[in-house]
Amino acid sequence: MSPIETPRSAQAGTVESMDCLVTVTASGGGRRVEISGGGTSRFRDVMEKKINQVLDGLGERENVTISVQDNGAVDLVLGARVEAAYLRFREAIGE
Amino acid sequence: MRRTMLYLPGNNPNMLLRGHLFGADGLILDLEDAVARSEKDSARVLVREVLKHREFDGCEVTVRINGLDTEFWRDDLAAVVPYGIHGVRVPKVETPQALANIDDALSAIESAASVPVGATKVFCLLETALGVWNAYDIALASPRVTAIIPGGEDLAADLRTSRSKEGVELEWARRMMIVAARAAGVDALDTAFPRVTDEDGLRRETEFTKQLGFDGKSVIHPNQIPIIHEIYDPTEAEIESAKKIVAAARDAAARGLGAVSVDGRMVDLPVVRRAEFTLERSGAMTERGRA
Repeated sequence: MSPIETPRSAQAGTVESMDCLVTVTASGGGRRVEISGGGTSRFRDVMEKKINQVLDGLGERENVTISVQDNGAVDLVLGARVEAAYLRFREAIGE
Repeated sequence: MRRTMLYLPGNNPNMLLRGHLFGADGLILDLEDAVARSEKDSARVLVREVLKHREFDGCEVTVRINGLDTEFWRDDLAAVVPYGIHGVRVPKVETPQALANIDDALSAIESAASVPVGATKVFCLLETALGVWNAYDIALASPRVTAIIPGGEDLAADLRTSRSKEGVELEWARRMMIVAARAAGVDALDTAFPRVTDEDGLRRETEFTKQLGFDGKSVIHPNQIPIIHEIYDPTEAEIESAKKIVAAARDAAARGLGAVSVDGRMVDLPVVRRAEFTLERSGAMTERGRA
């Protein structure tokens, strides 16, 4: 076993109003998207589409779980937080 | 017009998305002091997306990048310049050489992004004694420079003093800024008033800096905007008087006369220029054309 544990997750965003907190975690069995928060039931499809669009654009190959804690983030904020979290994740795992 | 330019923290979606609703003449999307070092990357992406997707109701939109002594400023420029901002605010400019570095970086990004080279203007924050001393040379160092702005807290610290209620420690730097800006043909914009609940203090300081000649002031809270606008906006009486002066000057010019008298006062070129400036501020000149 390696003496140094490789970081396996990264976050971006906040839980403030109009923002969201995005956590990216390594996972082996395909990309998973988890969304929680106030407007989730109404906007889940739109949010999932945006998240997948951003991850596809960044070349993500379905090896992560994305958890979004939403507090009223509009599309562009969600996309920005997913991008920042994913880029931090890649940096953390040394890619 | 640059009566007010409102700072918006670059990592705060709420302020970035609503900032244009407060009626400031300009917005400053801030990637520098308002953003913690650990959040620079995230704020940069957020500000880029806001610039890409949002309209700002005619506000002049600028981004305050991180200082040239940091590892962030080139990435900041690369993220925001392609999206058609009016300008960048550059902190702690001290020498004309700094403008050469900014100019080169901006030109490369503009060129690659099909933005007309030179379109992105530069607002120079002069936050050290050396920067203030070099104000005129900095203002002339690049045609991109459109305004110079004295520092507040940083400048006071560099002068080995602190900010007082009366602002006496910044007075000389402010006067210097006006002379340098006018000599170089750029705007002089004042630093923000830091005490957001002190309306009387803001009013006093703005009246003073307007009288010195400043074109406007940075703002750190939306409540400061109407107070500053009220001080900068010409009164009805000033507008009427200015209209009379401009009309008399046109009439005199048409009749081949030099100075004329309006309400018992001699009207010569400096008076006409001041009247035109008053009408510009009131918006009337845009309808009437220049005399």
